Amino acid sequence: MSHRLLAPSSLSRDLLRREDIEALLEPWLPDATDRGYVARCIVEEGPIHHRGANYALLRLLGLALAAVGGAGPQRGEAAPVALRLPPHLRRGVDDENFPLGVPLSALERLAPRGSPTFDALLDCLRDGPPHHALANAAMVCLLGALIDRLAPETAP
Amino acid sequence: MSALPPRLAGAFLSAASELGMASAARLFAREVARAGGRELVAAARDTFGRDFPVFHVVASRWLAGELDAAPSPAPVLPLAGALARLLVVGLEANWLDALLPRLAGVEVGLLRDEAAVAADFRRVLANYEGLAVGVELAELHRWSGRRSGLLTFVYGSDGHVAHVPTTWLRVSGPDVRTQFAALIGWNILGGPMDVYPRWLAETGVADFSRLVGP
Repeated sequence: MSHRLLAPSSLSRDLLRREDIEALLEPWLPDATDRGYVARCIVEEGPIHHRGANYALLRLLGLALAAVGGAGPQRGEAAPVALRLPPHLRRGVDDENFPLGVPLSALERLAPRGSPTFDALLDCLRDGPPHHALANAAMVCLLGALIDRLAPETAP
Repeated sequence: MSALPPRLAGAFLSAASELGMASAARLFAREVARAGGRELVAAARDTFGRDFPVFHVVASRWLAGELDAAPSPAPVLPLAGALARLLVVGLEANWLDALLPRLAGVEVGLLRDEAAVAADFRRVLANYEGLAVGVELAELHRWSGRRSGLLTFVYGSDGHVAHVPTTWLRVSGPDVRTQFAALIGWNILGGPMDVYPRWLAETGVADFSRLVGP
């Protein structure tokens, strides 16, 4: 099975609208170029079933977040998601990270920062091809904001 | 002059190797017209157009009175101007001449196209001193980043299929395309070609994060 949908490309783009995902990411990615880049990696790259699953899950999370008032102010650090570059061609600069990272405060609800559990979960979320890792990061952003709305008193 | 020069095809190929197919075609359409008017342009198109389909398109446009002045960089400027680095795949001198001087602050690389007609790349780069540097395919990833973009020339599209320089097929592979924030297709010919698009590769418009122009 091909992992690249060459035709009919218009069908995929009509169903999995990049702009829907860009709108969801705006609180975390205020720059339009950054939003476009990350949204493309999430819904226009990788196998079509991943694109569709990413789109469905993020849209549902977006609906849930909207129902409780949308994302509040962003807080805390985010762990970067690195571009998948060949090791010998890495330059070691921040530009080699995707614009969207994994918010650490959300993960701290599961384990203390720096603990083996925290580190392992963070590693799993950032691993894999970009369409996996960036969808994970986006979902943690939305889930963290959702839980902040639902249970602000439990924030780490 | 009332007859086509016997070595016109070879001369066109030489010019195309250092200017790009469309830029060479514009040059040759103008010069053939100067030598022999509409009749000679039509003869050149009918004689060499199947071998050089981009020339076929350009000559047809000239005959229809549609060959405009210098290409405009307007469709690309808002996209490329938002980037820190732009790696160009393919060569079209007329379009690069219009675009590159407008990209102050953007680092520009011209990827050496191994699959294209053989050119002396040093001569090509000499035209862009201070505006662009040469990039080998092996160092492609060094140009990646969250503020990096790829740009290639699209030689016509029907909205689904696009014709591109062959090297684009390698550059836009799944391992590379997520390393660049923007994948820009600059359609310099408009609609699909009337004759078989030899010299070019076929891809889908989904290859591009933005397809702009003409």
